[in-house]
Amino acid sequence: MGTQMKDVVIKPDAPNALILDKHADYIAAYGSKRDDYEYTLSEYLRMSGIYWGLTVMDLMSQLPRMNCEEITEFIKSCQHECGGISASIGHDPHLLYTLSAVQILTLYDNVQAVDVDKVVEYIKALQQEDGSFAGDKWGEIDTRFSFCAVATLALLGKLDAIDVNKAIEFVLSCMNFDGGFGCRPGSESHAGQIYCCTGFLSLTGQLHRVNADLLGWWLCERQLPSGGLNGRPEKLPDVCYSWWVLASLKIIGRIHWIDKAKLRAFILACQDEETGGFADRPGDMVDPFHTLFGVAGLSLLGEEQVKPVNPVLCMPEDVLRRIGLEPDLLN
Amino acid sequence: MGDHTHDPFMGDISDMIEQEFQLREAQKQRPLQEQERKSLRLEALICYRQTLIDLQTQMWKDEKKAQLRSANIAFQKQLLQLKRMHGRLKVKSTAQQEEEKRKEREKKLKLYVTARDVCFSKRKEGVFDEEALQLTQQLLSSNPDFSTLWNYRREILMHLETVREEDDVQKIYESELSFVERCLRQNPKSYGSWHHRGWVSARLPRPDWARELSLCDRCLSLDERNFHCWDYRRVVVRMSGVAVDQELRFTDRLIGSNFSNYSSWHYRSTLLPLLHPESPEPPSPTPQPAKASPPPSPQTNNHRVCEEQLLKEYELVQNAFFTDPNDQSAWFYYRWLLGRAEREEMISCVYVSREVERVAVCFSKPVHARAVGLMLVLDGQPQRVEWRSVHPRLRHSPVWVCDLPPSTISDIGNEHNLTVHWTEKHTRRDCALYSGRTQSWCRDSATDQELFRSELSVEKTSVLQSELQSCNQLQELEPLNKWCLLTIILLMRALDPLGYEKETLAHFQTLKEVDSMRSAYYSDLCSKFMIENTILKMEYAEVRVFSISDKKLSTLCHLDQLLLVTHINLSSNELERLPPQFCMLQCLEVLEADNNSIEDLEGVYQLPKLEEISLKNNKISKMEDLAPLASCPKLRRLDLRGNPVTQMANFLSDISELLPSVTELLL
Repeated sequence: MGTQMKDVVIKPDAPNALILDKHADYIAAYGSKRDDYEYTLSEYLRMSGIYWGLTVMDLMSQLPRMNCEEITEFIKSCQHECGGISASIGHDPHLLYTLSAVQILTLYDNVQAVDVDKVVEYIKALQQEDGSFAGDKWGEIDTRFSFCAVATLALLGKLDAIDVNKAIEFVLSCMNFDGGFGCRPGSESHAGQIYCCTGFLSLTGQLHRVNADLLGWWLCERQLPSGGLNGRPEKLPDVCYSWWVLASLKIIGRIHWIDKAKLRAFILACQDEETGGFADRPGDMVDPFHTLFGVAGLSLLGEEQVKPVNPVLCMPEDVLRRIGLEPDLLN
Repeated sequence: MGDHTHDPFMGDISDMIEQEFQLREAQKQRPLQEQERKSLRLEALICYRQTLIDLQTQMWKDEKKAQLRSANIAFQKQLLQLKRMHGRLKVKSTAQQEEEKRKEREKKLKLYVTARDVCFSKRKEGVFDEEALQLTQQLLSSNPDFSTLWNYRREILMHLETVREEDDVQKIYESELSFVERCLRQNPKSYGSWHHRGWVSARLPRPDWARELSLCDRCLSLDERNFHCWDYRRVVVRMSGVAVDQELRFTDRLIGSNFSNYSSWHYRSTLLPLLHPESPEPPSPTPQPAKASPPPSPQTNNHRVCEEQLLKEYELVQNAFFTDPNDQSAWFYYRWLLGRAEREEMISCVYVSREVERVAVCFSKPVHARAVGLMLVLDGQPQRVEWRSVHPRLRHSPVWVCDLPPSTISDIGNEHNLTVHWTEKHTRRDCALYSGRTQSWCRDSATDQELFRSELSVEKTSVLQSELQSCNQLQELEPLNKWCLLTIILLMRALDPLGYEKETLAHFQTLKEVDSMRSAYYSDLCSKFMIENTILKMEYAEVRVFSISDKKLSTLCHLDQLLLVTHINLSSNELERLPPQFCMLQCLEVLEADNNSIEDLEGVYQLPKLEEISLKNNKISKMEDLAPLASCPKLRRLDLRGNPVTQMANFLSDISELLPSVTELLL
C-alpha cells in the first residue's frame, strides 16, 4: 500500500536555457494553421487560445507580430446581443471567453471595441442569489466563474456593478480544511481553483481572510523532487501549475516557500527545442496554453528576459499600470 | 448500437472500397507483396471518404440517419484496423507519410466541419429535431468540451418536453443519460459532460438517484480522485437526501482500502462537523433565509468537531500514518484535527495616550474600522473622530488609531472614561485614564486568551501527550520522516510551547536538512513560534520590552500583540524588512535591529513615540528607503553604521534634510 511518489525524471540533456525566439516563432505560426484538424477541434476555446498566445507574445515583447485588426474584428463579431462574448463565431457566450476577450482588448488598449455596458450587464445578470456566478445561462456554478466575473469587471473599472459582498461570502464558503478552495462549497482544493479564489479575494480586497500560512504550506508541498509543481496531492507535475501554484503563493506573499531554482529547471526542461513552445511535462507535445504558463511562471521567478507578469490577472504589469489597476498582494 | 454488418448500405461501401483497391492494384501491373497490398487498401479506404461525406449530405436529406451512423462507425473501425496493421508492417519515407497524414486529416476535418456547420445552421433556423440530437451526439462523442453543442441539445430536449408525453420524455432523458455515460467513460474529466448529466438528472420526470449514486461509486472505483465525480456525488447526495453518516461510512470504506486518498479525507472534513458538531449552533440574532447563505466551510469557527469524535479520528489517522508514513493525505488531515478554533471576535486592547492625544484599538482579527461601525465614547459623549489604519497599505488591519480633538484629555489633573464600541459585533471595551497618569490601557493578553495553544481543554492534555508519544515512536522508526517531525513540533506547541522550545528548534533544524526545498517555509514557521514564545515570556514577566535576538528570525508576525511594547530588540537575525505591520507598535520608543539584512523600512511609519533607531550592519542602500522615518516626529537618534547608503555622495546633507529632528546620527 506504500505511496509511490508520482513524479518525472528530468534527463541530463533536457533544455536548460530559455529559447525565446523559438517560442515567439511557434506562437506566431500557430494561428496560421487554421485548416488543421486539431486546431478546428479547439475552436470551442478559441478566445482563450488567442489570449494565451497574445499574452505570451506581449511578455516576450513580440505583440506587434500578431494581427491586431483581425483579432479585434473577430472579438467584435463574437459579442452577442446579451452582451456576453463567445469563444468563436457561432458558439454561445460564456464568462470564460468574455474575460479572455476583455483581457485581449486590454492588451490592445481598446476595450471600447465591444459594447462595455452590455458586457457589464451580462456579468451582472449571471450573479446568483447566494453570490456565486453561473458561467452562462445554463447555470453551471464554479468559483472559476466568480473570478472571471470580478476580473473582467476590474479590467473595465466596473466592480461596483455586482453585489461584491455576497460574491465574497460565496467564495469564502468554498474554503477547505487545508486552507485551499474548490469549485463549489464542499469541493476538494485544487491549485487552479485556489488561483481563481485568491485572485478573486485580491481583486475584492479580502486577502486578509485567507489562512495564508496554512494555504501556503499546502501550496509549497505541491513541489516535487523534480522541481515541478502538481495541482493536488499525489498528482504528476505540470507546467501549468508553475503558474497556478506560483501565482497563488505570490498573491499570499509566500513565493519564497518553494525552491525557485529547481522549479526554473523543470520549466525550462519542458521546452521543445525543435518546434519552440512548452509542454506540460518534459518530452510531451507543446501547446500555447503551456507556453504562456511556462513563460509567465519564469517571469514570476524573476526571469529578466521577459516582462514582469501580474500574478492575479496573468497579464504584463505595464499593461495594468496603464489602466491603473493594482490588485492587492499580501506581504 | 447492435450489429450492422447486414446493413445494405454497408455492403455498398465495402464493394466500392474493394473496386477502388483492385483498380489501384491493377495500375501497379506487377505482383504485390502483402505490405503493399495493405497500403493500397488503406489508400482506397481514404479515397472513399469523400464519397462518404457526399453521401452523408444526401442522406441527411433522405433521413437515413441510422444507416449513416452505422456506416460511419463501421468505416471508422475498418480505418483504425488498417492503420494499425499499416503502422506495424510498413516503414515509409517521412515525406510520404506526412502527405498521407495530411490528406487524412484534411478529410477528417471536412467531415467534422460539415457536421458542425449543419448543426449551427439547423439551430439558427430553430430546428429542434432528433436528427440534430444525433448530429450533436456524433460531434460531442469526440469533443465533449464543445459546450455550445450541449446547449443546443438542452434546447432540443426542452422542446421535446413540450411536445411529447411524459413517458416519452422519460425515455428520451434516460437515453440521454446513457449517452452522457458513454461520454464520461471516454473522458471522465469533461466539465461539460458532468454538468449536462446534472442538468438531465434534475429534469427527469422520474429521477433515479440510486442509479446516479451507483454511477458515482463505479466512477470513483476507477479513479478515486476524480473531483468532477466527487462534486456530482455531492449533488446526488443532496438531491436524494442520503444521510450524512452513510456518506461518512463510504469514506471509511475508501480510506480502509487505500489510506492515500486525499479526496476521501477531504470529504470527511466536510462531513464530521455536520455529524459531530463541537457545540449546538449559536442562536443567530437575525436568522438568514437558508437559501441565500451558502453552507459554512470547515475552516470557520463553529464548524469544529466534538472532542469525543476527535479522539476517534486521531486513532484512524494514526492507523493511516503508521501504515504509510510518507502519505501526505493523512498528515494534512491530522494537522486540521489538531488545529485550534478561530479566535473569538473581540476588541482585545484599547490604549490611550494623554501626550499624543491618540486612541489605539486592537481587534482580534483584521477589520476595516470605517466599515464595521466603530464608535468612541469619551466621558459619556460620542466623539466624532476619524479612524485610520496604522499604515495606508493595510486596508484591513487589527490595529486602528484616532486622534482626539486638541486639549480634550491633555490636562493631567482630569480623569477620563473611554469606551470603544464595535457595533457590528455588539461588543465593547472600556478604558479609564486616571488623573496623574499619562497613558492607560485595557486588554486581554495573549496569555489570558491562551492564544498560541491548542483549543483542547486542559483536562485532555493527556490525550495530546499520548498522541505525542505515538509520533515519537514513529519517529524512532523513521527518524527522517518530515511529516512526523512537523507533527511532533505542532503537538509540542499545543502541550507546552516554552518547555519544548529547545527540542522544537532541533527538529526544525532536521526538517530544513531533510526537506531542503521547503527550508524557507520551516524558517518562517520557526520564526513564528519563537515570536509566540517571546510574547509569552514577556507577558509572564509583565514587561513592555520585547527582545528576540540571535534566533534566526526570517519573518515578523503577531505584531498586533506588541501594541504596548516600548523597547524592541530584533538584532542578529535574518530579517530583510520591517513590513507595514510594524507600525502597529504604537508605543515604541526604542528600536534595535542591528546585524540583519534589512533593506526596507516601510513599517517604521508614523510611530508617535519612537526616539531611537539602531540599524547597524544592514543592507539599506538607497536614500528613499529611509523616507518612512521622516514620519516619526520624535526621532532623535539614528545609527546607520555599516549600511551601503552611508557611502553615497552627499549622504550627510541629504539625511539632514530628510530628518532634521535627528540630533544624534551615527554613520
